[in-house]
Amino acid sequence: MSLNKNNLTLYFLIFFNGLAFGQVQQERKNDSIVVEQLEPVLITATRTLRQLSSVPLPAQVISKKDIDRINAVRLSEVLNEQTGLVTVPDFGGGEGIQMQGLDSQYTLILIDGVPLVGRSAGTLDLSRISVGNIKQIEIVKGASSSLFGNEALGGVVNIITEDPKPGFKGNIRYRGGSLNAHDIATNINVKNEKVGYTLFVNRNSSEGYDLLEGDGFNTVEPFENYTINAKVSYQVSNDTKLTGSGRFYHQNQDNVASQDLAGKSEINEWNALIKADHEFNDRWNSYLELYGTQFKAEEFLNDPLGDTFSQNNFDQLFLRPEVRTTFKPNSEHNLIAGFGLTHETLRRTDFFETPIFNAPYIYVQYDGNFFEHLNIILGARYDSHNEYESQFSPKLALRYALTETLAVKGSVGYGFKAPDFRQLYFDFSNATIGYTVLGYNAVPDQLQELDNQGRLTENSSNNLDQIISQFNGELRPERSVALNLGFDFKPSSSIQLSINVFRNTISNLIDTRVIANQISGQNVFSYFNIDEAYTQGLEFNSSFNISDNLNISGGYQLLFARDKTAEDDFNNGEVTRQITNNGTVVGFTTLDLDDYFGLFNRSRHMANLKVFYNIPQWNLNTNIRGVYRSKFGLFDTNGNAYLDTFDEFVEANVIWDFAINKTLFKDYELGFGIDNVFNFRDVPSGPDDGIFISNIPGRIFYGTLNINI
Amino acid sequence: MRTLKLITVFTLIILSFFNCSDDDSITLEAIESELVTNLFAPTERDFSTNPPTISGEFVKFDFSSGSITTSETDWDIAFRGTTILVNGGATTGLAQEPQRNGNAAAYLVNTTFENVTEVDESLFVQDSGEGLAIPTGSDNGWYNYNPPTNTVSPLGNTIVFRTADGRYAKVQILSFYKDAPAEITPQIAANDLDHYTFNFVYQPNEGEASFN
Repeated sequence: MSLNKNNLTLYFLIFFNGLAFGQVQQERKNDSIVVEQLEPVLITATRTLRQLSSVPLPAQVISKKDIDRINAVRLSEVLNEQTGLVTVPDFGGGEGIQMQGLDSQYTLILIDGVPLVGRSAGTLDLSRISVGNIKQIEIVKGASSSLFGNEALGGVVNIITEDPKPGFKGNIRYRGGSLNAHDIATNINVKNEKVGYTLFVNRNSSEGYDLLEGDGFNTVEPFENYTINAKVSYQVSNDTKLTGSGRFYHQNQDNVASQDLAGKSEINEWNALIKADHEFNDRWNSYLELYGTQFKAEEFLNDPLGDTFSQNNFDQLFLRPEVRTTFKPNSEHNLIAGFGLTHETLRRTDFFETPIFNAPYIYVQYDGNFFEHLNIILGARYDSHNEYESQFSPKLALRYALTETLAVKGSVGYGFKAPDFRQLYFDFSNATIGYTVLGYNAVPDQLQELDNQGRLTENSSNNLDQIISQFNGELRPERSVALNLGFDFKPSSSIQLSINVFRNTISNLIDTRVIANQISGQNVFSYFNIDEAYTQGLEFNSSFNISDNLNISGGYQLLFARDKTAEDDFNNGEVTRQITNNGTVVGFTTLDLDDYFGLFNRSRHMANLKVFYNIPQWNLNTNIRGVYRSKFGLFDTNGNAYLDTFDEFVEANVIWDFAINKTLFKDYELGFGIDNVFNFRDVPSGPDDGIFISNIPGRIFYGTLNINI
Repeated sequence: MRTLKLITVFTLIILSFFNCSDDDSITLEAIESELVTNLFAPTERDFSTNPPTISGEFVKFDFSSGSITTSETDWDIAFRGTTILVNGGATTGLAQEPQRNGNAAAYLVNTTFENVTEVDESLFVQDSGEGLAIPTGSDNGWYNYNPPTNTVSPLGNTIVFRTADGRYAKVQILSFYKDAPAEITPQIAANDLDHYTFNFVYQPNEGEASFN
């Protein structure tokens, strides 16, 4: 153990002395363990291990210790407390993350560097991921497609699970609390000189909650899920290491749509990764990765007679082999290059065929230090694709140490998100209203089919060829250019301040538009690249170690997230607002640009304040965390399709959490906590009220027990 | 004295008659400004058949009387669901489409009602096989459709009409739901649709292009 730590420290001294030599040396004099705590490393920023404080990108690392102290069991709970991140409920039921004001579909979620899939409605549900076997969570903000390709448009969250460590170690951890929620997890770790194993088993369940009584269903229906994660590492020789890991996830949940319609939903997911690392010599390292994952979601609803009312299936398979090599001519320069292939298929209800995606890719990145103070990262990636326009994603990042305590860093990067399967292959007709949505690739055949059935109007039918000709090309990926500019200021070893200004300019946003009319009076929709939007703002983080045992930290994000088309419409005086009198519409008045609030579900201000306190003589640690969100709008309430200052908003709110943990007899730890101490809730006032926060159930009491074996 | 008074009154009456008839020949009819509430124009959609069976009469409206009409010939515009036809132009192929026999036309102005004061004859469009004078679809014509909430909201713009007999009117649609509620709840969205509430100003004088 301690040998490894020393090695790590030495490694950094050799590697990054150009940047942080003075600091590291000074701290190392005190205590090498402190060095490791103060200087976390991450792999997500460059795909090589790098010291967090030296990285020229806006990045963050959440350690296992941070997770344990707040007694979190699911990834969503951890991320929601970080500056500038907020978990946002999706209408499909999942909880995704909003990063720098970008929706959850624009953040890539990785486990040990490989992507999770299963975004049935765009959101990857973060409450699916247990944090019980996590070493750390790495967050990189800003477009990162130059390394990770698709989906890394807003940023990347990489969940690093524990590797086998020498010796035998194990624990059992239980958390139980309000909503009849139980989470029990066990970790077992065995490692000798050559072979190591870890095994993680978790069961998580809750009876859910209901924010509105009497509407026939719960806000969150009861569920139970299981996670099994196993890892094997084998040191073949001094230079070669093999790692295999497998994860299995299973969830059962009630599926209720109304008083009369009820059923079940089930998720089955597996991930498997085989990795070989080989060190040819001091300069050359190679990695081979074989990754596969499958996500299956099945749900059904039955009517009161027990007959099937609806059945939905979603079955996504994702396979990716990748080879990468690092070349390190000396300690100041590092080159990494890789290539791979992504193969994806999706079987889904309402698709007109089973799509197959094949996307080979190649990337290269240079990371170099100059003149002791300057770090440069220059990288690019090329993604080829059989179904949409191929993408070239460059990135440039610089960090310059102005003084020993102050550094400036900036980056320009390109990000993209490929059209998803739905946008290409949907063939969906709404049973009650009768409108039809066709994916871009589905239009030529399926629109012809609608015409053959005599469902299109004469006008649409006459222009059929012209309509279809718009779909001869390829739907283009949504793309973004991200700019980040920030300062890191560390006046002493106990104070850290950082500020980052960001702007993401997004173009080719995919949205639906009417392409034809049906004689029913309803429309046929398909997907187009239409919209442009931007998010910009600043993020501020601070951390103060008042004493060895007291840490206070605070963060703030200012955000403007706006649609450019909306701005034009407001500017041109084309947006109006209803004038009402006694609840009736009596007229309209024109709005101007100042009245435009921005995109839905974005708070202009978000902030957090955390106090962590240790009392070593009592083996006790405690903390209080507050998270603030200013008002935000969920949808348009006055009939102009945009969020303006006259709409109804969800009011600003602060949520305070409290936790206290005590270690007993060395191997036992007891914890108690209250999440949402002041019981903040925003519940619907009636079945017609859609403006409420569905993922905050109110105050939660819980207790935890951890036993080390 | 008495005679004089009588003569005076008589003269005044005579004069007033003259005045009246003089005025009649040059005075215009007053501009009519009205609010129409809950004009019900349902579309019945039967999706149990393929292709879906559409039934539902277009509800015809006449500006000069300010009310709906069943006349086959004396109508200016017609409503069904979110679709509005004008009595001018060619057949478009919609089911149960009424016969057009007039010269009506329309155009849209992205300005609020009060600010439309003059008619621009050059902008008028009639219904045709190429499309309706008031285009259908969200944000194309008079409304925005919000799929998640299933609501139809007027854009707050103004529609300028030429009537079947060549006079002018302007219309501001206030609501597509019964009693023009300020807030469209899911209940209202599902049950109270197809009810038009609109303001209109009708210029009854032929050739007069001003609404003031």
